[in-house]
Amino acid sequence: MMHQINVGEDLRDRNREIAAENREMLRSRGVFSLNIMSAPGAGKTSLLVRSIPLLRDKFRIAVIEGDLQTTRDAERVAALGIDVRQIQTGGVCHLDAAMVHSALHQLDLDSLDILLIENVGNLVCPAEFDLGVDARVMLLSITEGDDKPKKYPLMFSESRLLILNKIDLLGMVDFDIEKARKEATDINPGIEILELSCRTGEGVEAWTGWIERLLSESGA
Amino acid sequence: MRNLLEIVEATAEREGAEKIDVIHLRIGVMAGINFNSLEFAFEILSKGTRAEGGRLEHDTVDIRGKCSECASEFHPEDLVFRCPECGSGRVDIIAGREMEVDYILLDEEGS
Repeated sequence: MMHQINVGEDLRDRNREIAAENREMLRSRGVFSLNIMSAPGAGKTSLLVRSIPLLRDKFRIAVIEGDLQTTRDAERVAALGIDVRQIQTGGVCHLDAAMVHSALHQLDLDSLDILLIENVGNLVCPAEFDLGVDARVMLLSITEGDDKPKKYPLMFSESRLLILNKIDLLGMVDFDIEKARKEATDINPGIEILELSCRTGEGVEAWTGWIERLLSESGA
Repeated sequence: MRNLLEIVEATAEREGAEKIDVIHLRIGVMAGINFNSLEFAFEILSKGTRAEGGRLEHDTVDIRGKCSECASEFHPEDLVFRCPECGSGRVDIIAGREMEVDYILLDEEGS
């Protein structure tokens, strides 16, 4: 005789609880935080390397780097002379709130204004895990194709800002920027979109300006 | 997957059951879960738990949006999250993101 027990628990409940703790930790210390997500190779680390020099004179910045195995990204960011904490996920394809929680304990939050978290390169799983940050940002590089929003809707749905990177290559690849914009805004009508190139630096100031605007709105 | 096993193990323990026969999930189409991959991971990771040898089942939950302005509910055709009634873009996803354990079936023997 089988016996049915109703459970009704979401698999992400535990993550949400820890994310709420992270959020409280960061807010109470006045730290503004971003979770930066994209497919591998879209330019997350390059974006950090380009933008930190524009922000560091005004703000105290730290970075959490999520990486499957290596410390390569962390080394690129550490070369800028800022505090970097590396999370090696050991093959796990995303960061979760508990991993970030441990890293937060290693940082001196009282002497920070901005915390940038670079997620593991992946267009699916990172979107499912709230880390407790103020906003999620995603990068889509134009070499990935303009059909990606509807193929990976959750990522676009969860992001406050979409950055279209590598626009210096427009014209060399078949990427219809209006199509990508339309697909992203179909999924998330409130999403903000910036176009930039980490290679040439075009548009990077609009991105750092966006960070400053959100930071002042957040009251952090 | 660890969360899944923790949830069902804790439930079975509360019920005093030694073995979980069926775990029934609700998975939203937007949740980014491939059920076959989940089954594969479950088979490996459930070894040595009360769920070992148990069956994983699921219902798929379709996407529904709810307009924050006029409160109408709709299925976002072609993933367009814009209210078909009033045109607002302020839409909450009220279904389609599920990733939950709906119920489990336990063998009465031993409970």
